[in-house]
Amino acid sequence: MFSSVSMCKTLKSCNVLFYKRNFSISTKLLNTDSSDASITSEKRGFAKSFEKQSQLLQEDSVPKHTFASLLRNSKLIDLGDPKDKIVIGKIFHVVEDDLYIDFGWKFHCVCTRPTNRKDDYVRGARVRIQIKDLELSSRFLGSNTDLTLLEADCKLLGIISSPIRPTTSEKSS
Amino acid sequence: MIRRCLILPLRNGISVCRNNSTAVAEQAESTQESNTPAKNPLDHPDYFQVHNLFTVKDLFDARVHFGHKEGSLNEFMTPYIYGSRQGHLIFDLDITAEHLRKALNFTAHIAYRGGIVCFFNRNALNAHLVEKTAMECGEYAHTRFWRGGIFTNANHQFGAITRLPDLCIFLNTQNNILNQHTAVRDSAKLLIPTIGIVDSNCNPNLITYPVPGNDDTPVAIELYCKLFKAAITRGKEARMKFLQENN
Repeated sequence: MFSSVSMCKTLKSCNVLFYKRNFSISTKLLNTDSSDASITSEKRGFAKSFEKQSQLLQEDSVPKHTFASLLRNSKLIDLGDPKDKIVIGKIFHVVEDDLYIDFGWKFHCVCTRPTNRKDDYVRGARVRIQIKDLELSSRFLGSNTDLTLLEADCKLLGIISSPIRPTTSEKSS
Repeated sequence: MIRRCLILPLRNGISVCRNNSTAVAEQAESTQESNTPAKNPLDHPDYFQVHNLFTVKDLFDARVHFGHKEGSLNEFMTPYIYGSRQGHLIFDLDITAEHLRKALNFTAHIAYRGGIVCFFNRNALNAHLVEKTAMECGEYAHTRFWRGGIFTNANHQFGAITRLPDLCIFLNTQNNILNQHTAVRDSAKLLIPTIGIVDSNCNPNLITYPVPGNDDTPVAIELYCKLFKAAITRGKEARMKFLQENN
């Protein structure tokens, strides 16, 4: 008993180990058979954490494809409250001064072409946008259901990359 | 075929082994099948293996689970909704996958029997894609303005005896935000089976095989077009093979 206490004092997590050793000794008094096995197979310290970490890595490599897990790990859930979040979109259609930008959501957003670097905004350009509203829909007086515009409302912040001007790619989220 | 015995304990403890009533019939059928190699495709739950055409992950990547906001929810769509995230509804893709499998199976069977399929889509964003898909699989599409009596007054409007489609596939059941497509109601009147992609603001009641899912994103419509085209092609190939074997 006294030897174990002196050993523990040298270790940082002495309190934990002290209680652990106490527990293992008490079980030894009660059941002799199981305690021997538990003391020898029980790994402590670095060995235990190494085992735990390697098991964690193995679990991550197996992909789960249930809908619930796919949704939970999706970008939509990562977004949280979509208002004022900045995302990356891609221009898929251009009509004179209107840019139709798709950012991975159900709807696209339409933004007007900005004045600086206006010629870089072509089909296939990647842009940064700030989400104001994911779907422009509201209930008007006298109607049972909402009226949707089938569009998202976003503010165009700037360009990331454009097929017109091939530059070194900036850091993308 | 394993005979299934039901052991029923009687009052005095003597048990009677009774054969499953269909076991004898199954054996007779199996002997019949071995004599005549032609199987009836309707007996098989998935004769054309359309269940292998997609996975839930494919649906997820094609953004099929996105719905509209809670304010525009049609009350009849509530059983298909998984939940709502920040006011935006999410479809339960397990339910969607099951409905889509049934719809694809039905499409393949209709194509196998030589039926005419007509695609409908009133969303201008995807109209060209739908027309191209219909052309590629040798079927028909109607993505323009629908005159009132095309189905109900067909002989008069087209001037000759017309054959109506045997299946209508609606990739978008709405005509515009406010109204449902007239062809949904007219197909029901004329007993034409319909398959429809119903979004959270659509009414699934009149559609024979509703498939709850996103109908606004071009990626989702592309996926549906690809799946229906594959199902129709499989049905037609099986039909060609059957006709060649018997001629």
